[in-house]
Amino acid sequence: MNAVPRKLSLTDWDERYVQLRHTGLREPPYGGPLRRHVAQERDYRLEKLRFDNSPAALRLWNFLLTENERLHQARARGEKIVGSMKDLGTVPVMAYALPGLRAFYPDGAWWTPCLMECSDRLLQQAEGLGIDASFCPVRAMLPAFLNGEHFPRPDLLICSTGAVCDDFSAIAQRLERMGFPVEWWEMPRRRRPDPGEASCALPGNLNAPQLQVDCVREELRRVGQSLSSLAGRPLEEAMLADGIRRANEVRRRLQALRTVAYSAPGAPLPALEMLVAEMLAIHFCSDREETIAVLGELLAVAQARVRQSQFVIGGDAVRIFWVNPVADLRAMNLLEDWGGRVCGSDYMFAHALDLIPEDLPPLEALARTALADPMVGSTADRAARIVADCREFGAEAVAVSRIPGASHCAREGEIIREIVQKALGLPTIELEIPPICDAMLPTLGSRLQALMETARARRKK
Amino acid sequence: MICAGIDAGSRSIKVVLFDTEQQRVLSSSIGDQGVAQEQLARGLFEQALRDAGLERSRVAAVVATGYGRNAVRFADTTITEITCHARGVHHVAPDARTIIEIGGQDSKVIHLEDGGRVRDFAMNDRCAAGTGRFLEMVATRLGVDWPKLAELGQASQKPALISNMCVVFAETEIIGLLAEGVPVPDVVAGVQNAMATRVVALAGRSAVPPVYFTGGVALQPGMSRALAEALSAPLRVAPQPQFTGALGAALLAGDRHRMKAPQ
Repeated sequence: MNAVPRKLSLTDWDERYVQLRHTGLREPPYGGPLRRHVAQERDYRLEKLRFDNSPAALRLWNFLLTENERLHQARARGEKIVGSMKDLGTVPVMAYALPGLRAFYPDGAWWTPCLMECSDRLLQQAEGLGIDASFCPVRAMLPAFLNGEHFPRPDLLICSTGAVCDDFSAIAQRLERMGFPVEWWEMPRRRRPDPGEASCALPGNLNAPQLQVDCVREELRRVGQSLSSLAGRPLEEAMLADGIRRANEVRRRLQALRTVAYSAPGAPLPALEMLVAEMLAIHFCSDREETIAVLGELLAVAQARVRQSQFVIGGDAVRIFWVNPVADLRAMNLLEDWGGRVCGSDYMFAHALDLIPEDLPPLEALARTALADPMVGSTADRAARIVADCREFGAEAVAVSRIPGASHCAREGEIIREIVQKALGLPTIELEIPPICDAMLPTLGSRLQALMETARARRKK
Repeated sequence: MICAGIDAGSRSIKVVLFDTEQQRVLSSSIGDQGVAQEQLARGLFEQALRDAGLERSRVAAVVATGYGRNAVRFADTTITEITCHARGVHHVAPDARTIIEIGGQDSKVIHLEDGGRVRDFAMNDRCAAGTGRFLEMVATRLGVDWPKLAELGQASQKPALISNMCVVFAETEIIGLLAEGVPVPDVVAGVQNAMATRVVALAGRSAVPPVYFTGGVALQPGMSRALAEALSAPLRVAPQPQFTGALGAALLAGDRHRMKAPQ
């Protein structure tokens, strides 16, 4: 079943799948050929993507692309569905601590227009609802709630407010006005403690006033009560502690995967699969235990390839640190086609990759982790972490992908570039990648190729 | 060794033939871009060969750059405009530390290290308001050609204020200004100022002098005045600015050919 690592088109995967089945490929219930997602769910974008050829990658993709199916099945079994919005990795830890609850991330619908090549018409429908293209593609979530064609209507919606992006806030408020009850919880903007003020250490080498941690902890306590009511049983401390341990297992595997993939001389896994894998940290793609298994298999593949010095992208590729998720998944393929490889990433949820402290009362631990969210603090804090990661993984250049319309910090990309440039002297670039970037290939190509050329020229110094 | 650089831009194609031993340009040619990009590039390349009295076989290497570089299939390789402009400007102005290039559909600020290597760069990608396309729109609206536009811009007494970030809306503003009787030279200078503001924003706070202006738009004197004002610093126009990309491509073709050649 093992083959030399390489990227395959969907057509190549059709053939590879048949071969794998002949040689005894064992798959989870959501397995099957990737092609079926095009036929059944109209995920046309898959025809333009290229995928890693390992069975582990097949499992990852099938896991990702069957999430809505999984949610509908859970609903049919009588499980309660919780839509966890904006917090990027905290509320799902709590929800999965309670049996019978299944949390998902409705904001994830922002990739639906890309995957379905806009045949879903979600973006057009969002415009009809007053949320136009000046908003982030997460606006696709709004009509997805209304038309019910994607995820099931959640039993409970939990949404953080306060230090969140304006786009998201506008969409979530619109949603509430349309009759979807939202349980709001306050996330203050993280600040440094004033002199003499009680300080609290957060994951990611950050600090915040204890006052803010106390505030978030009490907000999360309230969220826990809502979840308990929905589940029909109290969320006991021991259950939450166990939920944190399982979430940390996901995070440990992701940390190990990132270390193996980003520090190896070549790339053992393509950038696209790494992006998808990292995204699992947010809400476990609606199945925490399966996430652990999927990541375990992927990690084993990456480790084996590194041991055998077999890489999807060779050692000569320019090591790019990538900032922000891309609205079009194809961009990650293109980066590699044009001579780069991702050697580090900050997809806006770095806090969801940090281990949640297990030696603290669970709610206190979750509050500290939630406050370490890069989106609730200053851009300088975020850039400091990027600089440290660039150093750790030996980045040669930095690409900041701008999300069209995203307004949580309109100048963030430029600030990050300036700080990285000053600290490390690396060439940097800011790119805007729309949900379908095909028409922009010449300009995107020019920018990325110029970045590679600049980085390569620096090697000759 | 003779090398060729072809800069297939969005508005025009430029070709330079360069003799690396004598370190001089043998010939150059320029023509409008069109649909049949490769054919146009080949025609200009052949014209440059004729002008220099050379056979095709004398050219050791060809590098294509610019927006349409991948369409120039007879080139040995392609290199981006950033690297080519940096190389070309460094050749004609070795003291350059910052380069501003305004192309037909984008604009760039390139920061150079000592020795001419690219340290970092920035490109606009949000709108056409900082690009040559803006000037083209104005020329079309006013019914004048490119040299006349340059002439008009220089005659301005009081540049008009163009506030819109969007070229399409800016066109509406221009129509409004003209209807109000604002003199045409003031409208042109206003557009040049608006473009300069947007381009200089790309440079951020890091435009290390000397700053050189290159690309076809640098042939408009009003534009370099506007850029210098927006930068609050002196600005030098690169010699033969419309050819620096093609020149850089030719120089890089020579470098690459030497690296590949058996020692």
